[in-house]
This record gives sequence, structure tokens and C-alpha cells, in this order.
Amino acid sequence: MRRPLAALTAGAALLAATACGAQGASSEEDGGLTTLTAGVIPIVDVAPVYLGVEQGIFAEHGIDLRLESGSGGAAIVPGVISGEFDLGFSNLVSLIVAREEGLPLVTLSNGATTVGEQGADFGGVFVPADSPVESAADLEGATVAINNLNNIGDTTVRESVREAGGDPAAVEFLELPFPDMPAALETGQIDAVWAVEPFASIIRESGEREIASNFVDTHENLSVAAYFAAEPRVAEDPELFDELTAALEESLAYAEAHPDEVRSVITTYTEIDQSVIEELTLPRFPADIDTDSVQTLADLMVEDGLIDSEPDLDTLYR
Amino acid sequence: MTATSTDSRAPDPPAPARSPRRPARAGLGRPLLGAVGILALLGLWEAVPRLGVVSARYLPPATDVLAALGVRATTPGFWTAVGDTLAGWALGLAIAFTAAVVLGFTLGALPRIRAYTNSTVDFLRPIPSVALIPLAVLLYGTDLRSTLLLVVYACFWLIYIQVLYGVADVDPVAEQTARSYGLGRLARVRYVVWPTTLPYLMTGVRLAAAVALILSITAQLVIGSPGIGREIAVAQSSGAVESVYALIVATGALGVVINIGVRVLERRVLRWHTSVRGEATA
Repeated sequence: MRRPLAALTAGAALLAATACGAQGASSEEDGGLTTLTAGVIPIVDVAPVYLGVEQGIFAEHGIDLRLESGSGGAAIVPGVISGEFDLGFSNLVSLIVAREEGLPLVTLSNGATTVGEQGADFGGVFVPADSPVESAADLEGATVAINNLNNIGDTTVRESVREAGGDPAAVEFLELPFPDMPAALETGQIDAVWAVEPFASIIRESGEREIASNFVDTHENLSVAAYFAAEPRVAEDPELFDELTAALEESLAYAEAHPDEVRSVITTYTEIDQSVIEELTLPRFPADIDTDSVQTLADLMVEDGLIDSEPDLDTLYR
Repeated sequence: MTATSTDSRAPDPPAPARSPRRPARAGLGRPLLGAVGILALLGLWEAVPRLGVVSARYLPPATDVLAALGVRATTPGFWTAVGDTLAGWALGLAIAFTAAVVLGFTLGALPRIRAYTNSTVDFLRPIPSVALIPLAVLLYGTDLRSTLLLVVYACFWLIYIQVLYGVADVDPVAEQTARSYGLGRLARVRYVVWPTTLPYLMTGVRLAAAVALILSITAQLVIGSPGIGREIAVAQSSGAVESVYALIVATGALGVVINIGVRVLERRVLRWHTSVRGEATA
């Protein structure tokens, strides 16, 4: 009578038999180096780790870092939780939400930080050239496209509206993948978009108008994203993660000091057009998370109802 | 030159005795029509952005895309991706096929147990494979096994249901005859059930072959397991529109090749069956 279930799992079971090694697969010794796997997104922000691998910074710390650039960030948090990835890259709003939902994630180092300059950040809010919208306050009643609802995009755009004296509750948000934004804006399907590089450059190049730098409006030193790991995994092997954190910090410092090399390493893992790469606004790559900016972000998340109560941020940082 | 040979209704030397008048032209015309169809589509695709109906930045003309595909086809990375996609396709299809045939024949022979499982099958079957993506990621992360889970789940039902129908379609007279002649259980499966089921099975395989490719690509696109789908996702997140279309064209071409392959297989396997024989002699 259990046949139906057997039928369902028959294929899966066959595979599961070969899958048992998944958990510990990432830490076998390889020529004295410990192999670690990182779940990253193929975007500009993670250039420092690619550069760190290229420059042998991770190897110096005894780590053979494998970079898995899956498509979206959707697979990264589950991947880190399940042990498929030893570390991952994610924006801080996602991490705070995950932590609030009881997922044991801790940050290892900063990932990417806003440039801190109005109108010259690696992400911003754009409207068509002929739009009546002049400032973020005019977004009241408008529809703004963001890549993910209830995440860092709408939280920081709402703050831009608030800062400009508008009512953030009157702004409508619509989910749209970044790659679709330039066309949606040009054809007038949407009033405004929040886009990050390389799409910010592509949109700027086609002559659309930038009305707000939402990261800068939120905090001039906003830590946008971070590298993180699963707490139990870190507790298991603290020395290894000390080395990993040190290597991450060194890679970030190297990237910060060598922007040209950042631009050239981007060509190795993305397909961004060369002319766009030259125009890109790179994020800043300080090694430490600006905890003050994360506090601001967390307060906004409570205010906007992304999370119910003030999160305990101290447990988020390793 | 094909055009001239059809137009000048010359002696028709290759036409064998058994194929009268029409088939000779139909045989030549069919692939020709297919080619004309593709050319028309490419022409339309070329014209739409060139005429400014759609911005060329979001839909590059066909020639640009094909050129980009040509360049890409010279890189080893492209062929690795094609290989990964085909590996997910073939392995997934093979696992689904084996499981569906074994379970289908077993349960098909046990009507009572089959009756018990019907409702469960009907419950599980409509669950879209893509709904299993979170589960796949949790179990297997981003490697090939995630792709396989999706492909196997979708393809299993397609083949399994066909096998069940096939097994149920066995002619009772043939079955009784085989029994009267003293054929054992295995011999009856081999000489009575198997030939009856085969056309159904091949239909299932043909459907599953296409679905397997779709899900193989989908898994790579969404989960980021290696293959053409992931290449598309990377190109997308880089704003490389030409590359995106080039890879989509490559996926389509792969689909055509797979479909042709399965049809050839079907004709070989079922060459004795009226559905295939009928077409050849009509």
C-alpha cells in the first residue's frame, strides 16, 4: 500500500544514495589546503573574493575557496544552512530577516558598502527622462520597481521618500528582475525603478534621470551586504573561520586599493559589456561592517513592518 | 538545386515502384517547408528591431544574435555548458524511464494494488516539478542532482502513466491465447504485454524528452546548477542581451535535435507497428 510513495521517491531515492556525502563534501583536504565553497551571485559586489582567489590570498590562509555563482540569491541561504556552502554573500536585510526567523546565520565580514555620494552610488532610483517626478517625495502614488519585495530595496527607497518629505506608505512597489528594468523604464511601463550596477549604468547611459540615492539616504556609510556562515559550522571549526575571515578582510582591502583589478576580474565571471565595465560605479569595500548603519537599517525594518520587534544585532555579528 | 529538381518534373528516377506519384514531392517538400518556416521567423525577427518596432537594445536583430552564438560556439565554456545540460537531460530521462517501466509493469500486473495507488498518483502527478526547487536546493545544493530531481519528477509521471495505459490495453484474447499455449509469466510479458505497451511507452518517452530538456534548463536558470540555463542567468544579470538570446537560440536548437533523435528512435523501435508502417506505405 506504500507503493505510491515508493513511486514518488523511486527516482529521488536512487539519487539520494549518491548524495550522502553532500554535508561534509566541502572540507576535504587538498594539498594542505582546506576546500571551502562560497555561494555568491555573479554581480559586481563580489569581485573582492574573486580577486582574493586570483591573488592567492585565500591560499595563503590555507583555504582553497571554490566560488559557486548560482543565479539568484535564492539558493544561497538554504545552501549555507544545509551545509552545501560554507559561506555565502547576501544583503543585510535578508540576513536580519533570516536571523529573526530563527536561522542561525552569522556575518564573517562586510561585503559591499555604499559609495556615500548622492547621485554617484552603485545603485539608485531612476525615472524616465520626461517624468514629472523631480524628487523622491514625488514618488507618492507612483509605482516603483524593485527586485524583491520586503527587502533592502523597498526599505531604503521608503527612507529616501521619507527624507524628501514624502509619505512612504503612498508608494506602490512592484517586483521586477533587475535585467528587465531598463526596458520597463524606457517603454514607460513603470514610473520608477530601483536598480544597481550594471543596470544603473545601463539606465544612466540611455539618458534616464536619477532622482535619489537610496543607500546614501539611509546611511552615508551603509553596509549593504555581507559574507556570512552558519553558526554551528563556525562553532565546529573556529580557527578555520578565523582564517577565512582574515582572508576575506584582506581581499576586501586589496579590492579597495586596486579598483582597476576589480574591473578586470569582473570580466572573468560575468558577461558585462566592456564599455559598461569601464563606466561602472564600484561599491566601497571596507572590511568591517558599519554596525551603526545596520542599526539604522534594522530600525527601518521594524518601522516598515518587515520584522516584528527590534532584532538583537549583536548575535548577528560573529 | 532542390527547387529545380522539383519544378522540372523530370523522369523521377529514384522513385521506387511502391511509392506512387505524390510521396516523392511530399518527401522533398517537408524539410523544405520547415526551412522556409525558420527563415521566415528569422526574417521577422531581423525586421522587428531594424524597423524600430522594438528597441534593438532589448531585442537585437537575428543576425547579431546568430553572430554572437557563432562566436560563443568557438569557446570551450559553451560546449561544457551544453554537455552539462545534456547530462542532466539524459541521466534524468534514463532514471525516470527505468523507474517508470519497472513500476509501471509491476503495478500494471497487479490491478488491486494499482487501484489503491490511483488516487495518490493523481494527487502527486499535477504537482509542478518547479515547486520542488526549494526542496532540491535544500537536499542537493546547486549541483547536478538538483537538476536531476526536477527532471526525474516531471518525466517519471509522463512515462509511468503511459506504461499503465499500455499494460491495461493488452488484448484479453491474445493474453488468453498465450496462456493456452503455455507461455509463462515472463514470456507473456515479453511477447504480449511488451509489444502492446511499446507504442504507449514511446509516446511517453517522446513527451518526456522535451519536458526533460525544459526542466534541465529551468533548474540551471533558477537554481544555478551548471549548464546552458546558468549561462543564461549570468548573461541576464550582466545585462548582456545578445548573449541571452544567443543561448536561448542554442536551447531551441538543442530541442530540435532531441526531437528529431526521439522521432528516429520511435520509427526504428516501432517499425513493425501500423502507425509507422502506415505512414511509410500510404
